[in-house]
Amino acid sequence: MKRSLIILFLASSNIFSILEIEIIKGSDSLSKVAFVPFGIEENVNENYGEQISNLIEKNMLLFGEFENLDKAEMLSFPDSEEDFYYRDWKIMGVDYSVIGRVNSVNALGNLNISYSLFNINRRIKILEGEIVGKENNIEGIAKIISNRIYEKITGLKGIFDTKLAYIVNLDTETYQMCISDIDGKNEQILFTSAAPIMSPDWSPDRKKIAYVSFENGLAEIFIQDLASGERESIQTLGMTNSAPVWSPDGKSLALVVSFSGNPDIFSYSINNKRLVRLTNHYGIDTEPSWSPDSKKIIFTSDRSGSPQLYEINTQSKRKKRLTRDGNYNARGRYFPDGKSIFFVHGNEGNFQIATKKLSSRFIETLTSTSLDESPTISPNGNIIIYATKEGSKGYLGGITLDGKSRFSLPVKNGSVREPAWSP
Amino acid sequence: MNKILTSFNTFAFILLFLSFVFSVFSITTLKVDETQSIKVNFYELIESVEQPKRLSEARPKETIQQADLNKIEKNSEVKKSLDFKKYKLNKPDIKRELSKIKLSKEREVILKISAIIQDKISSVWIKPNSLSKVLAAKVLINLAPSGEVINFEMVEPSNDKFFDESVLIAINKISFFEEILGLDRKLFESNFRNFKLVFKSSGEIE
Repeated sequence: MKRSLIILFLASSNIFSILEIEIIKGSDSLSKVAFVPFGIEENVNENYGEQISNLIEKNMLLFGEFENLDKAEMLSFPDSEEDFYYRDWKIMGVDYSVIGRVNSVNALGNLNISYSLFNINRRIKILEGEIVGKENNIEGIAKIISNRIYEKITGLKGIFDTKLAYIVNLDTETYQMCISDIDGKNEQILFTSAAPIMSPDWSPDRKKIAYVSFENGLAEIFIQDLASGERESIQTLGMTNSAPVWSPDGKSLALVVSFSGNPDIFSYSINNKRLVRLTNHYGIDTEPSWSPDSKKIIFTSDRSGSPQLYEINTQSKRKKRLTRDGNYNARGRYFPDGKSIFFVHGNEGNFQIATKKLSSRFIETLTSTSLDESPTISPNGNIIIYATKEGSKGYLGGITLDGKSRFSLPVKNGSVREPAWSP
Repeated sequence: MNKILTSFNTFAFILLFLSFVFSVFSITTLKVDETQSIKVNFYELIESVEQPKRLSEARPKETIQQADLNKIEKNSEVKKSLDFKKYKLNKPDIKRELSKIKLSKEREVILKISAIIQDKISSVWIKPNSLSKVLAAKVLINLAPSGEVINFEMVEPSNDKFFDESVLIAINKISFFEEILGLDRKLFESNFRNFKLVFKSSGEIE
């Protein structure tokens, strides 16, 4: 009896204890998106339909986060939901389809564009929108639509309207402080100098840029207003100042001030122009950067004998060492969520971009080139752009955090250094 | 006579009741509940089969004593008889061994098919960037013996809309697990008719 009871129970226990299979690894492939040429109304310039879908496609493919379906392979070109059949896209292995229509142009030159995004695997429409914009700002309209599509697919903030600041060395005597759209278009030269320019950083409102210029013979920090082009020096106490970084609340700059040749980290309040000392050590403390909550600052210090990353609480002044692997970890920055950091990790003469969760001991190298420096992260935390070199020429490379996509930004005349991604 | 019968009946009932109580207690030692994974379950299955072994452990000793009592002088004969008796007495052990082998074989098949399913899902799951969040979502899959996905349901969502969505997209991409076809029906019913997929954003434990 006992035996039969147990067997019965075992039989029933099998029903209750359900097999669980764990899935941690994801696919190496990318989501495939079909960008269908937009339809047009009769009175609209017939190029607009194709132009706008091409612009959206170009934006979405910019960082290699998605794969596209070639237009020649499309089985249909629907421009409304009534003409849209999921099977046409499922059969081509498409994950998402973007369709739309340029509805009208009014007397003021305003375009009315409607668009929809379909999730093919789930067979649902996940986005529908309408936008009105100037005929001559079709790129701007495409960026807004691209951002909305990107947000719906990834859950991350769209970044197609962000900008990049960087330094260009045309030759050893010409340095330029430049900004451009994230796709490299609309480049603007903010300042040209015969002396080196370094460390650009965006104000959180994207209206100003702080950088270091040697135009007066020593390192001096300038804040330049982008709209007016006005420059203001914040030379404090006549010493060398460097590595300015705006706090996320926009109230202060973290910077390095060197009294009698010993660099330490300071916080500079922009409104009352007050300087507060944060570190005081005979070692070199440099390259500060704020945590997203503006409460902590990460910095590089050689106080242990080799460059390592430390974190200081700006209120309590308590310090914490963050890296221990290897003998070179520098130029640290926080991820937008404040839970991880990325930095330059030196290993046997190679310098690569690495990441580390603050809760973990392990670091992970992201890049495979050997002279990588000055990493900067997209505001949504998904892409890192960094400066690297081929021969003596510097260019900008990029990588998505999942490592699936590596890309390099269009090559310019001269060497490009120190990229800074705008908020 | 009736009295004797009734008292015998009462005694028999008490015995029955006691054996029932005993069996109930012996069940609780199995500790199988719905949250346990297959790994634990199978170890316990094997253990439960092994359990009676402790009782039978005394038997070979007895045989040695018996053999001693019989005072068989020739060593070889002692050995022979011992070996023989051991073999004879351990017959239930062989049964147990066989069922163990059967179980471990079943387990092997289950693990093999689980690994195939794991690979198949991994190859279509486009993991979203969940930043530093540690997320997990459980999906209950309902299969037909042909391997066709009849139904699936997210039984424990991760609280991250986009993570959950990525999981549902992945499962939507698969309509068949061909590997199930040809699987022993009993094995299918008990393991793959319903099973859960646990999607995790990272291998970390919080």
